[in-house]
Amino acid sequence: MRALAAEASKLASLPAVWIAMAAGVLVPSVIAAITASSTRSTVTRGAATVAGADAGYQELAFGVVGAIILGVVAISSEYFTESAESGGGRQITTSLTAVPSRLRFLLAKISAVAIACAVLAIIASGTTMGVVHVVLGEHAPAMGVDDVPRLGGVVCYWVYTALLAFGITVLTRHAVIPLAVLIANTSVVTVTYLLTKITPLANYLPDMAGVRMFVRRLPDDTVEISPLTGGLVMTAWVAVLLVIAAVAFTRRDA
Amino acid sequence: MTAPMTATRSHGREAAQALAAEMSKLASLPGTWLTLGGTLVVNLILAIAFTIAGLQGSTGTRSAVDIGLASIGYAQAGFVVLGVLTACSEHVGGQIRTTLTAMPRRALQFTAKHLALAMVVFPAAAITAASGVVLTAGVLGDTAAPVTSGRVAGALGGVTAYLALTSLISAAVGALVRRTLAAVVVLLGYFFIAGPLLRDHTAVAKYLPDGAGFAMWFPAADDASAVTPAQGALLLTAWTVALIVFVLIGYRRWDM
Repeated sequence: MRALAAEASKLASLPAVWIAMAAGVLVPSVIAAITASSTRSTVTRGAATVAGADAGYQELAFGVVGAIILGVVAISSEYFTESAESGGGRQITTSLTAVPSRLRFLLAKISAVAIACAVLAIIASGTTMGVVHVVLGEHAPAMGVDDVPRLGGVVCYWVYTALLAFGITVLTRHAVIPLAVLIANTSVVTVTYLLTKITPLANYLPDMAGVRMFVRRLPDDTVEISPLTGGLVMTAWVAVLLVIAAVAFTRRDA
Repeated sequence: MTAPMTATRSHGREAAQALAAEMSKLASLPGTWLTLGGTLVVNLILAIAFTIAGLQGSTGTRSAVDIGLASIGYAQAGFVVLGVLTACSEHVGGQIRTTLTAMPRRALQFTAKHLALAMVVFPAAAITAASGVVLTAGVLGDTAAPVTSGRVAGALGGVTAYLALTSLISAAVGALVRRTLAAVVVLLGYFFIAGPLLRDHTAVAKYLPDGAGFAMWFPAADDASAVTPAQGALLLTAWTVALIVFVLIGYRRWDM
């Protein structure tokens, strides 16, 4: 518990985490404002009757970039080498002196990242949905009971993505590569989406499976995966990656 | 007592030495070669993936140039990272103070650094772009749609210039932000998330660096208002020069 408090305090004092939080909230809400206003003009011109059921949710799939930054910096900051002028130390050595059990350290860190990311996802979904409803007004899709599991899916997807980013960074011990790969894959047309063009198996990659927890209609969908299956597939990916990360982390020199 | 020897260098020699120094720093950075090598490998893997998709007919085109260059949109991440590393490696561990002691003329040092980067990325970008196209053309073989050699040369030239200029823009942003992580996040967020979305929703986005740069090589829509490759090249060059000059003005005034 004290290890968790320590990890939470480390996270909260990292400027990069606050940048991640700002990105996670601003990216989806600004994009939602832009797309919702263009939807609104289509609706008022009479070209379409109602906004799609995915209004807001599509944008939240891009906002996951905040979760990626959060997961990456949470662990890469431990490995950041101070300048030679200030001793050339790394925070990981201090952390492991304070919490010698590596597994306990890693679990505390994973919990802190998951909690922080869940909070971020809740704030971001609230803001994004608020923006969609303010901009679209009466044309907005009605929020009902079935939106509760979808929003839960958003939170799940964000937390899992943060943990995937975290697990990869534990292995690389450097922030740039996981950030470059993961942000490039958050693009409008993701690499994993292109892979689904080649093999239907790519639909079971973590991000393609995970988005099905809350996005109802993917373009050119070839494989039907239910939200629950999507969530389970992503859970399996995250679990496997975290186990690999934990084994590597406990067995190698820090 | 004799006066200390003051060896005076001509400006030309000073510039040549600055360029040699910056080139030596860039070439001795393991990150440079890891990034370029990794980008080349990733680009080839993606090119294979696009080619397979092309053979299955889901890309909508059979042109070896279009399919072979489709992966560049992702491979540009490597060139962004290289630009940022070039600029930000100076600020890790205070190397910048040694650099500026050795080369007190900051404008000269800054220009030399960007010139050295350009000299490295131009051939690297050309190799990356050409390898993807050659691979695709080899796999597609006779099934590839015929393209004129002028189109091939134009597209390859456009991609090479685009990647090199993107790298220079990234170096300028890196010098402005001075932190690798923050610079990488800002640039990749722009090139991969904000840029494509703005292109879909606003008309002015085609004049921004990524929109203008894409016009240099991406098959543009047949639209009278579309940016031509030449205009795109001019716009992107203007963006790059403007950004470098803007950062240089700050760079001369800041404490390091």
